[in-house]
Amino acid sequence: MTTLETGRTVGAGIDRVDAPLKVTGSAHYPNDFSLPGMVHAALVGSTVAAGRIRGIDVSRAEAAPGVLAVITHLTAPALERGPMTLLGGSPPAPMQDDRILHYGQHIAIVVAESAEQARHAARLVHVEYEAAKAVLDVDDPRAEIVENPWGLDTQRGDIAAGFAQADVVVEDTYTTPDNTNNPLGLMATLASWHGDALTVHDSTQWPHNVRTSLATIFKVPESGIRVLAPFVGGGFGAGLRVWSHVILTVMAARQVKRPVKLVLSRPEMFTSVGHRPNSVQQIKVGATRDGDLVAIEHHGMSSVAMEDDDYEPVSFGSVVAYACPNVLTRDRQARLNIPCPGSMRAPAEGQGNFALESAIDDVARAVGMDPLEFRLRNYADEHPLLGLPWSSKALRECYLEGAERFGWSRRTPEPGSMRDGRWLIGYGLAGVSYPFYQVPCQARASVRRDGSAYVRSAATDIGTGTYTVMTQLAAELLGLEVEQVRFDLGDSDMPYAPQAGGSGLTGALSNAVHTACRRLVQEFLDVVADDAASPLRGAMLDDVTVTDGRVHRIEDAAQGESYADILARHGLEELSADGRSTPPQSEDLGMALAGAFGAKFVEVRIDPALGLLRVARVVSAIDGGRILNEKTAASQIIGGTVGGISQAMFEETATDRGTGRIANATFGDYLMPVNADVPDMEVLFVGGPDRATAVGTKGVGEIGLVGLAAAIGNAVHHATGRRIRSLPITIDQLML
Amino acid sequence: MHPFEYALARDADQAVAVATADPHTSFLAGGTTQLDLMKDGVLQPGRLLDITRLPLKGITHTDTAIRVGALTTMEELAADPVVRDRLPFVREALLLGASTQLRNMATIGGNLLQRARCRYFRDPTVPACNKRNPGSGCAAIDGIQRMHAILGTSDHCIALHASDVAVPLTALDAVVHTQGADGTRSVPLTQFYLPPDDTPHVENVLQHGELITAVEIPLLPAAARSHYIKVRDRVSYEFALTSAGVAVLIENGLVQEARVALGGVGTIPWRAWDAEDVLRGAQATTEVFRSAAEAALAGARTLPGTAFKVDLAKRTLVRTLETVAGAQS
Amino acid sequence: MKHTETETRLSGQSPPEVPQVDITLTVNGISHSLQVDTRVTLLDALRDHLGLTGAKKGCDQGACGACTVMVDGRRVVSCLALAAQCQGREITTIEGLSTDGELHPMQAAFARHDAFQCGYCTPGQIISAVCLIEEGRAETEEDIREFMSGNLCRCGAYPNIRAAIRDVKAAVHDVKGES
Repeated sequence: MTTLETGRTVGAGIDRVDAPLKVTGSAHYPNDFSLPGMVHAALVGSTVAAGRIRGIDVSRAEAAPGVLAVITHLTAPALERGPMTLLGGSPPAPMQDDRILHYGQHIAIVVAESAEQARHAARLVHVEYEAAKAVLDVDDPRAEIVENPWGLDTQRGDIAAGFAQADVVVEDTYTTPDNTNNPLGLMATLASWHGDALTVHDSTQWPHNVRTSLATIFKVPESGIRVLAPFVGGGFGAGLRVWSHVILTVMAARQVKRPVKLVLSRPEMFTSVGHRPNSVQQIKVGATRDGDLVAIEHHGMSSVAMEDDDYEPVSFGSVVAYACPNVLTRDRQARLNIPCPGSMRAPAEGQGNFALESAIDDVARAVGMDPLEFRLRNYADEHPLLGLPWSSKALRECYLEGAERFGWSRRTPEPGSMRDGRWLIGYGLAGVSYPFYQVPCQARASVRRDGSAYVRSAATDIGTGTYTVMTQLAAELLGLEVEQVRFDLGDSDMPYAPQAGGSGLTGALSNAVHTACRRLVQEFLDVVADDAASPLRGAMLDDVTVTDGRVHRIEDAAQGESYADILARHGLEELSADGRSTPPQSEDLGMALAGAFGAKFVEVRIDPALGLLRVARVVSAIDGGRILNEKTAASQIIGGTVGGISQAMFEETATDRGTGRIANATFGDYLMPVNADVPDMEVLFVGGPDRATAVGTKGVGEIGLVGLAAAIGNAVHHATGRRIRSLPITIDQLML
Repeated sequence: MHPFEYALARDADQAVAVATADPHTSFLAGGTTQLDLMKDGVLQPGRLLDITRLPLKGITHTDTAIRVGALTTMEELAADPVVRDRLPFVREALLLGASTQLRNMATIGGNLLQRARCRYFRDPTVPACNKRNPGSGCAAIDGIQRMHAILGTSDHCIALHASDVAVPLTALDAVVHTQGADGTRSVPLTQFYLPPDDTPHVENVLQHGELITAVEIPLLPAAARSHYIKVRDRVSYEFALTSAGVAVLIENGLVQEARVALGGVGTIPWRAWDAEDVLRGAQATTEVFRSAAEAALAGARTLPGTAFKVDLAKRTLVRTLETVAGAQS
Repeated sequence: MKHTETETRLSGQSPPEVPQVDITLTVNGISHSLQVDTRVTLLDALRDHLGLTGAKKGCDQGACGACTVMVDGRRVVSCLALAAQCQGREITTIEGLSTDGELHPMQAAFARHDAFQCGYCTPGQIISAVCLIEEGRAETEEDIREFMSGNLCRCGAYPNIRAAIRDVKAAVHDVKGES
């Protein structure tokens, strides 16, 4: 493995390469595209959560002005269910029978000349249901329970013996509500068929998955399908799967033989594209009076849809967080009549960390130890389950440098002991050990006759900065200026890329780009291998480096020539090379693969009379491995932190008990932070490149969010003496 | 949206005549409630009569009152120098409502006529809503209750009136001037709104086709030292959980004049008459303020999801009174 | 088959039974004459009829600010205005902010401060921010926070948005100070 050594272009906080498009409104998101002859679709959603469709009358809708087609389960073609993916099974194929499994389930799609006509006609579809009593609560005895859904339940040591040794045990139940991803971009699909060939603009985080899935579902060759997503209006997990609305739009386009565009409404965004499921967690933590953790037991229960899957092991993060000899984790899911949950930024970790890091604070206080000191004392120098050294871990530095920057030492331990006028002040912290995730990825790099480079991969940039950091990385590896490199993505005709998710894309893609660029340099060496006119004749890859568009020998920079000269002399227009990355394997390296680590420090202010809670300051100290762009990486952390504040204080998707309807499916009712809720914040990157891969990045898309809920909860406790174990933390819980 | 005809009103007389003659015609002003509810399918007028070009904009002043044209936007009213100097809580309530973009669109007449934010009212797929479909029941009572009312509710409706600016206007006895088929009339805001009782679909005294032409706001001495506090989960851009608008005149530690209204708690903007009675002539102390708050919320009817609002509303009122008193001591 | 009957119709045209309205919209200084379904909002007119897709649809309910444009110099949410109501008004969208390919200072500041991530809310944020300074509401940090709160950013770029606004505000002061 050749690791990336230098840092001329990589790391610098350059402006996003796509910034000019984004600030001028010229970046085109899926619903910005139009095609000649395009028509519009609207969906009809079920208004019961369980039962059957007894009758569906589409006559008024069909007769409405401009309507081209109304498709229901009675008229829909048979569809295959999508394939197994890296993220588990695909959602069920829509409209294949009369069964209703959740409120808002798509039961008809209306196509009309204009969007206004389609939406209006959709309201004219009349449905009669044979409603059944919906299972809506994880406590409902009728709910089917899935035990150990992912085979991740863990037991190490002897949990009973561990608690027997403990001088202090805390045991509590924590709950987190459903949250809805709610990217600001309404998810849209524009589908256009030409025979068996299909072009789809889609708000996806994973174009290849859309391609593969649609090929399976519609039984057409993958090679004829092209999926485009050059810009996506955020995702936060909502774009990871090929949801029902995508399939229905493609189906409708095939039937009306016109390009069809569907834009989900905001209420539909709550029922159609996944959500973070609620959790009920029992956590029990034991420590000696000296402050040594001796036992952690963490049970998680989440909800899942009736006939779908979601990966949400909420307790699993407790396995590796601390050097605790006895740990037991168990996860279960209850099948409910709910829209299918799916990954939402920091799935499982976001919920589980809230319980663990709140309980750790309680234990620290019970043994009379500063919460920071307690965490450092129980620091896991090795991977606790594997007993291997980490490929990188600078969590200790995160704690120490974060505490220094935050001014943790000013904290007085007693709850309620810090004040500013009427405001109670609380300091809280939380630690985060984010799991490693990486899957195979490919990229292709070309250098053209003019010496400029074009690098591409079918990834997406959902705001993460992929365009920018990969441009920087390729420029670095090819010895070019950033301006000479174009990195492109968002097109399934490009080399395979995995999803933008799991904080895994940047690592996987950067290693693929690394390989592609190294191979491209090798291609140039191959061309001049026997070229008497070349000062590089016979050079090996390890003998050369690239600077200013020239390949030259390391020991003598004068011995080299430019890409352009090589191509010109050999009559070549361009040279290209492919790169593949495969995830590193722990066994090969003798190291435990590390994800990002972080320590979050929060100051809250509470007006106890009115229950007002304000986050006044946040310091996030992050070990994200190699940082490719300080500016965009910091933005990821800031954005994640806002997501964490949102989880802690605002977000709760409310479901009507009787009907299973989402009761707050609008932006007026579902609260997320506005500008005034969010303080300025500090982000510190500590640590260095991870040792497991060539580029050594660890991915920072999710680590920013995790820990905020616990840190805020811990700060609230410090300010008030009140421990809140149910998110979100709201006014009614804080009036003192 | 249901298809509709669009027409521009020529003048107020024509607008009133057209709308009065046709039950399917609605006025269109700022549109921030009307179009929103039409998109939701709650409102389905056959014709929208655009009144935005009528000469009902602008603010005129006398020594004792200001007269606000019904089409004056919330931002325009908040920027008025007399409002700034002599009606601070009106300005505060205006600027704590909605967002700048919405305040640039929403008119003062439209603000007073804004419809309930209740998600059961706003979703026509919910069968039970007495406000939308009289006699069908109230899904909110068994639903998610946190944003609903605790004062003026009935067994038929618990929907909140969410206007902020209506709170201080109610406290000040502002007067709504209208033009209808039977001519013009003036209705005090305290008599303009109708609590739901068993007719939640009837929200105010306006007849169909009757147009608000202006709102007259008295310039009371107490209002110069007024304050509006809005408590909500977010710092900004959210409807109130509770709010209080208070105009109090204190001399030598005694409350000479008190105007108190509450928001976020009532099915209509809630004038706290009983609180005013407690305050008037009493010492301006926190103890008295607490008694006033008790009186204001004495009639509260809660559900499990709204129980916390009683205490929160009291505390909000006490804080508002303390703030005003503090500024005068 | 219903769809074959209608296949010959051009996209965007509606049958005669849907009420239409003739309007002239002046957008970024250029006037456009349109006949549209009365239901078409200003936002949809801009996006679907004039091809100006900079203003974005994030909720279509006036609750997110992604569709913010200026009408007669004031910021509004274009999803809650009918196109028909904007007859004769001067409309400015993100596409009209830069002149001759030169970014507006606010656009440049947003790029410099990384005041966006996915970029979807950005056109609305920038229009709002330009208006904020015009309104005299960028004087204090508290004002910037409060009066930018009508524009949601789910990516959470708020601190960087404020930094961009402060930067432009400071530059405006500098220019005024010099003159």
